[in-house]
Amino acid sequence: MNKRVYLILFVFVASFTGVLAQVKVSGTVTDPEGITIPGVTVVELGTTNGTTTDVDGNYAVILSSASAVLQYSFVGLTSISEAINGRAIIDVKMAEEIMGIHEVVVTALGIKREKKMLTYASQQVSGTELRKAANGNFMEALSGRAAGIDIKTSNSGAGGSTKAVLRGNKSLVGLSEPLYVIDGIPMVNNKGSQPGSYGGNDGGDGLSQINPADIESLNILKGANASILYGSQGANGVILITTKKGKAGNTAVSVNSSTMFESVASLPDFQFDYGANNGSDYSWSTTKGNYQRNYIKDFFKVGVTEMNTVSISGGNDKTTVYFSYANTSAKGVMPTNTYQKHNFTLSQSTKFLNDKITISSNVMLANEVSNNRPGAGYFNNPLTGLYLVSRERDFAAYKTNFAIFNKDRNMDVMNWYTGDEKQNNPYWELYKDPKVAKTNRLIASLKASWDIATHLKLEVRGNIDYANKLNDKRYAAGGNPVSVSPNGTWSYSKYTDQSVYTDGILSYSTNFGDFSLNTILGTSFQQNTFNDGMSVDNGTISLMYPNFFSFENMPFNIMFNQSISKVMKQGVFANGQIGYKEKLFLDISARNDWASTLALTGNQSYLYPAVGLSAIISQMVDLPESISFVKLRASSSQTANEVPYNVVNPQNRIGGAGSPGGIGGISRNTQVPFTNLKPEVITSNEIGTEWRFLQGRAGMEFTYYSDVSTNQFLTLSAPSGSGYTYYYVNAGKITNKGFELTIDTEPIKTTHFEWKSSLNLSQNKNKIIELIKSNPDYQVGAEDEGFISIIKSGGSFNDLYIYKFARNEAGQIILDANGEPTKAAAKVKVGNLNPDLLIGWNNTFTYKDFYSSVLVNAKIGGIAFSKTEAFLDSYGVSKRSGDARANSTIPINAVQGSTSVTSIDPVKYYRKIGDRNGIMEPYVYSRTNVRLAQLVIGYNLDVRKLGLPIKQASFSLIGRNLFFFFKEAPFDPEQSMSTDNSNQSNDVFGVPNTRTYGFNLKVKF
Amino acid sequence: MKKIFIALLFLGTLASCTQDFESANQNPYQISDELLQQDFNLVGSPFSGMLYELFGNQDSQIEEDLNWDSWMGYMNCPTPFKSNVNNTTYYIQWNTFWGREYGNVMSPSKQVIQLAKTNNVPLFATWAKLIRILSISKVTAIYGPVIYSKYGSTENSIKYDKESDLYNTFFSQLDSIQSDFNAHKDYDGFVKFDPSYKGNIRAWMKVVNSVRLRLAMRLSNVAPDLAKIQGEKALIDPAGLIATNDDNFKISLLGRIMPVAMICFQWNDTRMGGVIESFMVGLKDGRISKYFSPVDSPSLYTDHPTVPYKGIRNGAYITAKSDRTSFSKASYDFNTVENRRAFTAAEVSFLKAEASLRGWAGAGDAKTNYENGVKLSFADWGASGVDAYLADNNSTPINYVDPKDAKNNFTSSSTITVAWNNGDNNELKLEKIITQKWLSAFTNALEAWVDFRRTGYPRIPHVANNQSNADWGVIAADQWIKRLPYTEAERIGNTAAVNEAVSSMGPGAKDNIATRLWWDTGTPNF
Repeated sequence: MNKRVYLILFVFVASFTGVLAQVKVSGTVTDPEGITIPGVTVVELGTTNGTTTDVDGNYAVILSSASAVLQYSFVGLTSISEAINGRAIIDVKMAEEIMGIHEVVVTALGIKREKKMLTYASQQVSGTELRKAANGNFMEALSGRAAGIDIKTSNSGAGGSTKAVLRGNKSLVGLSEPLYVIDGIPMVNNKGSQPGSYGGNDGGDGLSQINPADIESLNILKGANASILYGSQGANGVILITTKKGKAGNTAVSVNSSTMFESVASLPDFQFDYGANNGSDYSWSTTKGNYQRNYIKDFFKVGVTEMNTVSISGGNDKTTVYFSYANTSAKGVMPTNTYQKHNFTLSQSTKFLNDKITISSNVMLANEVSNNRPGAGYFNNPLTGLYLVSRERDFAAYKTNFAIFNKDRNMDVMNWYTGDEKQNNPYWELYKDPKVAKTNRLIASLKASWDIATHLKLEVRGNIDYANKLNDKRYAAGGNPVSVSPNGTWSYSKYTDQSVYTDGILSYSTNFGDFSLNTILGTSFQQNTFNDGMSVDNGTISLMYPNFFSFENMPFNIMFNQSISKVMKQGVFANGQIGYKEKLFLDISARNDWASTLALTGNQSYLYPAVGLSAIISQMVDLPESISFVKLRASSSQTANEVPYNVVNPQNRIGGAGSPGGIGGISRNTQVPFTNLKPEVITSNEIGTEWRFLQGRAGMEFTYYSDVSTNQFLTLSAPSGSGYTYYYVNAGKITNKGFELTIDTEPIKTTHFEWKSSLNLSQNKNKIIELIKSNPDYQVGAEDEGFISIIKSGGSFNDLYIYKFARNEAGQIILDANGEPTKAAAKVKVGNLNPDLLIGWNNTFTYKDFYSSVLVNAKIGGIAFSKTEAFLDSYGVSKRSGDARANSTIPINAVQGSTSVTSIDPVKYYRKIGDRNGIMEPYVYSRTNVRLAQLVIGYNLDVRKLGLPIKQASFSLIGRNLFFFFKEAPFDPEQSMSTDNSNQSNDVFGVPNTRTYGFNLKVKF
Repeated sequence: MKKIFIALLFLGTLASCTQDFESANQNPYQISDELLQQDFNLVGSPFSGMLYELFGNQDSQIEEDLNWDSWMGYMNCPTPFKSNVNNTTYYIQWNTFWGREYGNVMSPSKQVIQLAKTNNVPLFATWAKLIRILSISKVTAIYGPVIYSKYGSTENSIKYDKESDLYNTFFSQLDSIQSDFNAHKDYDGFVKFDPSYKGNIRAWMKVVNSVRLRLAMRLSNVAPDLAKIQGEKALIDPAGLIATNDDNFKISLLGRIMPVAMICFQWNDTRMGGVIESFMVGLKDGRISKYFSPVDSPSLYTDHPTVPYKGIRNGAYITAKSDRTSFSKASYDFNTVENRRAFTAAEVSFLKAEASLRGWAGAGDAKTNYENGVKLSFADWGASGVDAYLADNNSTPINYVDPKDAKNNFTSSSTITVAWNNGDNNELKLEKIITQKWLSAFTNALEAWVDFRRTGYPRIPHVANNQSNADWGVIAADQWIKRLPYTEAERIGNTAAVNEAVSSMGPGAKDNIATRLWWDTGTPNF
């Protein structure tokens, strides 16, 4: 496909016949910040001769006389008249009449539109805003800055993954994460594996490789209505990233350097007074001892992240160039965890042939190396042994001598006192089980645009996004035999993710009478090839020779697995926007997709439409002076989602390595053939209104949406007797309804002091109306070690089910014959893991050369739960268990037989309720938390006085996640151990929550 | 206009072909039927996998080790899984063998039978049908009524076969299987697909007879006439039975580790059973060192200081895993074995010994069969001292002592000796036969659980820690677990058929672990 693009470009250039030599006036209209404005009416004064500016703010008009006067007018901007005076090029800057009304935003496919015309919700955040707190990951920085987006970050530290969901979970099998787009072109965000209860490490995602310094702005298209032009992949909303471009004029060099420190903010509450009896794993002695008590606190380090960025931008009228380099180097709070990242970006844009053709290119390179990125869960996690170690043990000795020489094996093995499957010597895990993750990423795009005629433009783009990923985890011989083979375990995977994208878009805009018209017609092709590579993991089957990790050292009975997942999609799309007198806009879109994953089904081609209307009420009726602007909008759309790769007609697999002398058998595919598979469909409706008051000093935007997802792709176990093992259906109905509210004000504005404040508020209500009609009990979500996050009809996404205590009708806990609490017969729903309300309150203050930014984030409602706490209790190492022992009792409202019981032995109680599959009821908490997410205090140096070749310099102090105004859970529910669907708001020996603080220095030359 | 045309032309070419879509949606790392046609691999290639799946290999821990291996006292876990409220203590937490057999044997064999027909290699269908009987005869021994004759039906609710019908179906299918094999004794089409017998049809014919004998014996109490007819048929069939250790039906592990070794040595989740310790130590059984590893610390076996083995009580009280991981592991030999026993000559010999007691024609002499069974087993495991063992009419099982927790101690209820005594009554003779059959069946425990429920032998203790309750059925203090309940998927998705199946197990029968299977009559053996 790329070849085709080049060929066509060549044809364009060759066939170009030049422009007729005519006298005319052309130019660009921009706002005071230099952003181009499309749709500005340009009229020769006293005539009807005129035009409007195109999407890039350009216009060209042929005039009747060289002494004519041109008038530029636009709603919300002060009209300007310019006498020609023989000039051929007239660029104008138009000033805002009322603040905040005129805003040009980037919409789907990179098309710029005036915000007032949009019929759907979108919210823009500037790159400057995102960089304020020196986040290494731009999505982490976005949390709280936009309404309607729920962002969770992995607690695995630098390079970790994030999970963002706009307007609720829509897909049962997918992740419901938005599409990420760079300069109009979709990028790859293929998430690596995530830890679960049993262990694992965060496999990262595609976002951490983006250099935040390259971001000019982010625009969040919240619903499918906005993103229909991306087709199915935009069904969960779109995050549009606009990158920085070179600007004509003097070369500008900008240097930014930040150093951030990270430290553990809170740990679970432990006890260090009671050890174990008779060498048990469980610290349930009732005799106090004088034991070591600081080793947990001392285990964690102060992490340091240093980010240094330099960017150079410059150019002339014809060519502009932007270059940046960033270096990130981090050490985590977990010892041995390090992270290195290099980012290079080079973009250029050149105009040819009387500026009729613009060719621009953008290349981003990233190299990431993570060492020992922390995980979670039971196996091979240093925190299990660290937290659970019996208190009477000499931890310091285990720390020093984590490996001891074994005579029988003539090598070092782990020195730890128990064979508990969960526990390792923490220092053995740190120093003998190295884990490396490397990513090399290239995103390269080429764009050509051709101004065919005054109102007609063709844009052709091609992009390749390529990532090469290596995950290499080595577990030394002599470790925990439950998870590591006697000769060591090697888990290796190497694969590439590649996305090739091309599109061509023809756009035409014109005015006729009172009407304006913007239309586009386009086509796109995309091929995503993910997980293309191989993996091998010997698990607990022994390598031939210990501690040598190579393919040659694998025994014959290890399978080397190859994987690939490939989706090809073609689309044709059209969009038309008709405006009437700049006060009424009708927007109609349609897209047809052809998806390879639906081949053979007869449903591979599918069409979906969107329609929207926006009305500028303030242009239609007279409003009090205090109300400057009122807009109403409504839109409705449908998008369809392709199904996963290779489910229509899969083939057979090699079932195993075979015996030493034989061949491996074939595992036949036992899936019911599924040739009537259909795409998933999401129907979205939204209405919204936007208001500006007091010449724009205050404003608010409100959106209500209602989405219905149907034809969900579900996997079902086939009935035992059916002859098959599983099958797929299109079924289900999920609704997401909610609102988004943004209020921004400028309460104080004086010469020296300014306070701007904005509040983002949103709520999403998810409801599973139906999954399988014939099987109302059908559910998605499997039992996971004492809890289950269930999706079933009548409930909502991520309902949490756990065992509660068995109680009698009077509410008393029923004790068994041994006097131990009993658990209820079945798991019951105790709440939903998603919050009810998201609040972000962002304030910026400037006083002379000082500035400050304060972000408060709140998530209200929802639940969180901690298996860590359940383990700490059952092992008798929690402070709770120590206190209870000191009192020798726990008050309880229980009944044994018919006798009421008010006191229970702490051992009996905690051993019963805690551990792997106990009674989770006491370990469920409210997810509600309110935090000071960000505090920045900065100072702009008065560089003019310095007499140096510096244009601008500033210094700031930064704090992130500094403290909680409110939090109930014993861990931070927003720093999650896993960023996939399950294990939301759960903690199974994850890295404790951290706070970050440091400083940033920025200099512009 | 020309330029517009070019632009439109461009858009047109961009939106081009979708003909690659079908191949794009195929996974190149999956192997197609077309490729498998080469070298005639298509029909035969699933067999090694289907044979392998006759055991719960990959999930052996939750399918064998924590179920019948524990219930029959061979092995027990030192780990208090799920707060020690689990299958070993009679509260059902894992129940997946059903799904394994339907998913990995029945489902692919359905395709194989069809492929054998379309590719005109009917004997592969015969072979697949035999493997189905091997599979479902295990499933029914666990659950009772099962889906068999209606398997693969397209009806909404797929009915179960009640047990009496099921066994008749088995027997008549074994008739036709044997007649197919008999007509093609020299067929060599199985050779490269058969890790068990390298395609030797005559060997498979011995399996057919042996399975018939095994299934017939299950019915000895509930349907003695049918049992006798079928048993005698097996005994006199000219193709013969599995008679020597060379004939043993073994399943290749396909390069994987023997499950008991994985669970024992890698996970430290299983150890010698206290019950088998009581018998093997008491009876001075030479196979003990072939089954198990000695322990290091003499403090663990002060109750029998010369025999350095220590096991864990069935359904034991356990608080911490580390308490008993130092107990006897399985033999280290299991780390390197390449196949496992599915049907041995020793089992056949014990079946014949019981058949003689029951007066079945062709069974031969009970004593000879009994002693032959013990000798075959010793030889099979490479153990020595069989003659002295068989002659011992003094030694009896010892009482068990748990050095960590006396709550797990038990007094042996068995007073059995090894030496055969023709003067014993049939009941005592049967107890001897079944006790020795049980001792020979290490790592192949399911049929021993059948024998125990059917005959009451060997005399093993109850679980120490009985956690059964109304959820899955209560096992009374003087009783043992009777079956596993049906899987949740069937209970929910095939409710009517499950209900019908349960009611076929007797008036008032419940789908729980206390309901006796059809052949578990609870009545005297003679």
